[in-house]
Order: sequence, then C-alpha cells, then structure tokens
Amino acid sequence: MAVTVDFYEQGRKNVRKTIGLVMVFLVMMFAFGLIIDLIFGILPIFTLVFLAVALIQLLISLSSGKEIVLRSVKAREIRSDDLEEKQLKNIVEELSLAVGMSKPPEVYVIDDDTVINAFATGRKTEDSVICVTSGLLKNLDREETSGVVGHELSHIVNRDVLLMTLISALLGAVVIIQILAFRALITYARFGAFGAATRSRRSSKKGDNSTLAILAFLAAVAGIGTLFSFIGRLSLLAVSRTREYFADARAVEFTRNPVGLSRALRKIVTNSGKLKSANIATAHLFISDPLKRKINNSSSFFASLWSTHPPIAMRISILENRSYQEVRDEFSKYL
Amino acid sequence: MVILFVVIGILVVLALWLISVYNNLVTLKKRVENAWAQIDVQLKRRHDLIPNLVSSVKGYMKFEQETLEKVMQARARAVSAQGVGDKIKAEQELGGVLGRLLAVVENYPDLKANTNVSQLMEELTSTENKISYARQFYNDSATKFNTKIEIFPNNIVVGFFGGKFEAFPLFEVTEAEREAPKVDLAF
Repeated sequence: MAVTVDFYEQGRKNVRKTIGLVMVFLVMMFAFGLIIDLIFGILPIFTLVFLAVALIQLLISLSSGKEIVLRSVKAREIRSDDLEEKQLKNIVEELSLAVGMSKPPEVYVIDDDTVINAFATGRKTEDSVICVTSGLLKNLDREETSGVVGHELSHIVNRDVLLMTLISALLGAVVIIQILAFRALITYARFGAFGAATRSRRSSKKGDNSTLAILAFLAAVAGIGTLFSFIGRLSLLAVSRTREYFADARAVEFTRNPVGLSRALRKIVTNSGKLKSANIATAHLFISDPLKRKINNSSSFFASLWSTHPPIAMRISILENRSYQEVRDEFSKYL
Repeated sequence: MVILFVVIGILVVLALWLISVYNNLVTLKKRVENAWAQIDVQLKRRHDLIPNLVSSVKGYMKFEQETLEKVMQARARAVSAQGVGDKIKAEQELGGVLGRLLAVVENYPDLKANTNVSQLMEELTSTENKISYARQFYNDSATKFNTKIEIFPNNIVVGFFGGKFEAFPLFEVTEAEREAPKVDLAF
C-alpha cells in the first residue's frame, strides 16, 4: 500500500507555523522596542512605534493579494477558445480532483514564448491562482504540464504562499526600522553638532553626553535591525528552498508520475530564457528561478544559504533517482 | 473525596477523547463520501461526451465501425447499470473501449487536424484523467478512513457505534485495464 501524506494536515501545519511565526515576531518587536525604551527611559514611545510598524506591514501584506503579483508580472486570464490554454485549464481541474480541492484555482498566462516557468499565489486555498508562461504551453506536453501544475497545486494546498507572504512582510517591517534608524543616524551625525550646540545652551550641565547617547542609541537600533533582517532573510530563503523540494515530491504523489515533472525541469534548463517581468520580490514564487541567477545552480555552502531555489540539477537528480554529479555534468553547458 | 475527583477527571478526559475520535471519524467519512460523489459527476460527463465524439468521428473512421459500435454499446450498459457493483463493472468496461478509441484516433491525421474533433478529444481525455484522479483521491481517503477505524484504540470506539463506521471498498485495476490497448495498424 502506498504511503500517503495527508494534504489537509500539511496545510493546517503550515497555518499553525504561520500563526506561531507572527506571534514570535510581534513579541520580538515588542521586546526590541521595550529594551530601547528601558535603556533610554522613554517608555512607551518605541515599543508603540515598532508594534505599529509590524502591524501595518502585516495588514498590508494580508489585504494586498494576488492582484498585485499578477499585475507586476503582466499576467492575463486564459482564453478558453485557445486549445492549448483550454488544455491547461483542464489539467488544473483534473489535478484539483486529485488533491481534493473543492474549487480549482484560477488560471492566468504570461505572454512570453521564450520562457518556461510557472508560479502559484493566493493566501487562501479557495482563492488561489496558477500562472504559467505562454512558452510553457508551447514547449511542454500534457504529461509535463501536469507535473508543473501538480507542483504549483502543492504550494497552494500546503499554504506555502501564506507562509512566504507573511515572512517577507515581517522581514519588510524589520527593514523599515533598520532603514529609519540608519537615516536618523546619518542625519544626526551630520547635523547633530548643531542640534547639540543649541541644546547645550539650554542645559549646559549635560553637554556632549546627550549627543553621544543618541548616536549610540541609533547605532544600536540600526545594528539590531540589521541583525534581525539578516537572520530573517536567511530563514526566508531556507523555507523557500525546502518548500520547493517538498512541492516536487507532492507533484509526484498527485500525478503518480515523476517523469512528467523531471522532463519539464529538463526543458526549463535547456529551453527557457529570463523572464523580464519578474523581479527579486516575486522570484521565489516561481517553480524555477525566473531571473536565472547563477547562485541558484551552485551547491557551495555560501550559495546554498543565499539561493531562493535548490539547484535544478539536484531536483532532476532526485526525481530521476540518479547522482547529482551525473545530472550536473549532463547540463554543464547550460548551468 | 480525592478518589472521586480522580474518577471524575478520568471520565471527563475519556469523554473528551471519545468526542474527538468520533468527530474525526465523521469528518473523514464525509470526505470519502464527497470523493465518491466526485467520481459520479465525472462519469456523467463521460456519458454525455461520448455520443458527440462518436458522431463527429464516424465519417472519418470507416474502418473502425466496430470500435465505435463497441463504445456506444458499453456506454448504453454503463448508463443503465444499477447498483454499485454493476456500475463499477460497466464503467471499467467503458473505460477500456474508450482508451482503445482514443489510441486509434491518433492514427488518423485528418481527424487530429479537425478542430472540433481535437476539442472533443481533449475534453474526453481530460474527463478520463478526472475519473482516474477522482478515484485516486477516493482510494487515498478511503484507505485513510479504513486504517483509522481499524487501529487501536479507535476500533473500540467504532464498536460502540455499531454500523455507523464501516470500511469503504477500494477501486482496483481489472485484468482488462492492465492490458495495454492493442492498436491495429494493418488496415
């Protein structure tokens, strides 16, 4: 008997993880603000400011949805009179049955014949989108497209999109604080002498002490912010990579066919160009890096920390049950 | 006094556990029933598509009248089948002859060039895939349910509720489906 993963359970697990993550983040921001407030005795200004920034970021990321992503990559709805696009819609409906989704995701197309790529977005399972390039429709047959669609559906039912959206939103909040602190630091370092001079006239006893204190304070905020955003970015990338492997495995489980997906990945390596409408913010959504950055195909320690996707040769080697070196040599011309 | 509290505590925990097991089983059962209903929806679609396809390929496929005839007969049997056992058997037979028809159509370049036919073919291929994916999902959910009601200590809970939770049958591949469709190229 085949061992099956419970898709519902996986989805719930990711939702729990997401809620936990948001909690940890809010507590962290609260503590961050509180520490600064306590050190400099200005409670509760920074605690409130940091919490506000975090909450606003969360709300924005939760309310802005798939529309923004779809517009940014210039996607359009499918035409049901086109046979290839109708076939894509059929495949999405077929695999939604395999997953047990009540309503299949909407299907969008990016008009770019030179690129083979696809992504899924939408935080809710019932309100999700699968988007492929027209190059994918032209180059891939039914079996291969099924593999890709299975991969994307796995992202949707596992609620990967929700997790990733929130992680990047929270990261954004840290980056905002970091930037604000750096700006203030630079401004203060430049004009601080003047400010301190006017102030010291009023309270001549304290003198230069306050300037130093404020500089130290801003440096501390900027420093901690940088540390947080660094750790945050690394964990975002790590999550992104593991989700890709997992989605590959799920695609095989849905379609009961590893050949379709591995052939699709092969064609992505050999025939696909750079997607012009993608950018760093949306790159992690795609099945394979749309920007074709070199780092995503290297397996060195440094690269494996900083890449959004696992090396594509590694994914093919897992699907085909061959050694990584063998597959890598085969594609050495393209990677 | 202490003993009483301990006993009450144990009873409350037991009751809560019982409720959670029961609710879990009901949820799983509903999922399996829904999966079963999905298969029915797709089978209906298959029955509706076949006459259209047969009538539009008839003119091209003079040499395959027998195949078409078989498809229509199998469809008639599947539509009129009563009871789960009969239905499953008739649908499996229909699936077999349909697979053969789809393979045969590949040999007629004229047919594949006809947009109407290729659209119908795509719809039928998709429906066939949907049927097998719906079955796959049904089998997965039913297996999960069947395992849940048999493992200890759930089997004790199932015993309390008599016939409410019974194992679902699974789809199995028949001998006819295991055989690859034979395509006769010598016409």
